[in-house]
Amino acid sequence: MQNARWLAGVFILATLCGCAGLFPQTASLRQTLAPELHRKVELKDVPFFPQSEYQCGPAALATVLNEAGVKVTPDDLVPEVYLPERKGSLQIEMLAAPRRHGLVSYQLAPRFADVLTEIAAGNPVIVLQNFGQDSWHYAVAVGYDYYWGKLYLRSGETERQVMPFAVSEVVWMKGGYWSMVVLPPDRIPATAEESRWLSAVAALERPDPRAARTAYQTFLKRWPESVNAYIGLANTHYAAGELREAEAVLRRAAQRAPDSVIVLNNLAQILADDGRDAEALQVIDRAAALGGPFAGAVEETRKAIRARFKK
Amino acid sequence: MNVWAKVISRILIALMIWTPYQIATAAMIGTDQVVASSSQADRTTVLNFLSRSDVANKLQSLGLDPATASDRVAAMTDQEVQSLAGRINSMPAGAMSTGAAVLLIIVIAAAVWWFWQR
Repeated sequence: MQNARWLAGVFILATLCGCAGLFPQTASLRQTLAPELHRKVELKDVPFFPQSEYQCGPAALATVLNEAGVKVTPDDLVPEVYLPERKGSLQIEMLAAPRRHGLVSYQLAPRFADVLTEIAAGNPVIVLQNFGQDSWHYAVAVGYDYYWGKLYLRSGETERQVMPFAVSEVVWMKGGYWSMVVLPPDRIPATAEESRWLSAVAALERPDPRAARTAYQTFLKRWPESVNAYIGLANTHYAAGELREAEAVLRRAAQRAPDSVIVLNNLAQILADDGRDAEALQVIDRAAALGGPFAGAVEETRKAIRARFKK
Repeated sequence: MNVWAKVISRILIALMIWTPYQIATAAMIGTDQVVASSSQADRTTVLNFLSRSDVANKLQSLGLDPATASDRVAAMTDQEVQSLAGRINSMPAGAMSTGAAVLLIIVIAAAVWWFWQR
C-alpha cells in the first residue's frame, strides 16, 4: 500500500516536472523578466504585411525594416532572402539582408525575457517557430500581456495573433530560441551585450560603411572605453579615404590602449598612405616588437612601408 | 564546352566577390577580424575566399542567378559565410504558409492545456 502511494507520488512529481519542462522559460519568467516589465505592452503601429505562400521571411523582414524606418515591401525583399529551391529563408540571410539597407541586425540571446524586454523598448522581434518536422516559420512579436501570459504577433496572414506564453515557447524552442531585432544605426537594442553588439555593427561595415560609422559613434557613446570600436570607426574613415579623421580616431584609441598591435598596425598604414613614411616606420616597429596573433599582418605592413621608404 | 563554361563562370563569380575585399583590406586589419576574437586571423583570409565562392555557388544551385547570389553573400560576415558553407542544406528555412500553422497552434495549445490540467 505504502509502496503504491510512493509510486503515485513519484508519478505526479514526474508529470509536474515534465510539464514545467515543456516550457522552462515561461515557468521562470517571473524571476527573469525585470519587475517593471510585468505589464502589458503592444506596439500597435508596427505595420502588417500578409505573407504570400512560403514567403514569411520577406514578410517578417519587411515588417521590422519598415518599423526601423526603411520603406520596403516583402516583394522587394524576396530576391534578398528567399531561396526558391528551399521554399524558405535561412536565418543567416535574415540577419544579412537588413545590412543592405543600412540597418544593424542583432540576434538576441536565447531568452524569453529578452524578447519581451525588446518589445517593451519598442523593438518588434522576429522569432523562428517550428511546427513539427521541417515546418519552420518566421513571425514578428509586437506585444505581450504579462498577467494573462500572452504574446501578440504579426504572423502569416494574421495581423494580430494571440498566443499563450507557453505555446510560444514550445514552438520557439526547437529553433534554439532564435530571434532577432533590426535597428537603425543610431540606436542600441535594450538587451545588447557589448561584444556581440560590436560584432553586429562590424558586420555592417562592408555593406554600408556610412551607416556603420554612425553605429560605431553610437556605440562609443555607450561604451567609450571600447578600443575595438575605435578601430572599427577608424576603418570606416579609412574606407572613405578620410586619412586625417582615421588617424585622429586611432590616436585616441592609442591613448587608451598604447600596446594594441592592431591600433599601431592600422595607424602605421594610415601614416604611410598619408606620405609620412618615417613616422609610419616608427609606429610599425613598435607593433612588431609587441608580437601576438597579428604578427603576420604586422610584418606584411612593415615590409610594404620599408619598400616604399627606400624608393 | 558546357563544363568549361561552368568552370569559367565560377571563377568569374569568385573574382567578382573577392575583388572589393582585396582593395578594401590593403594592409589594414579589418574590424571583423578583430571582433571575431579568434587567434587564427591569418588563416581566415584564404578560407574566406574559398567559402564565399562556395556559398555563392550553393545559393545558385538553390535557384538564384549569379548576380543575386553574389550580392547576398556580400552582405554576410566571414563567420556567417563559414557556417553556411558547411551545412546550407541542413539549416532551417522559415517558410510555412499559415493555414497549417494555425491548425498546429491549436493542436499544440490543446496539448499544453491538457498536460497542464493533469
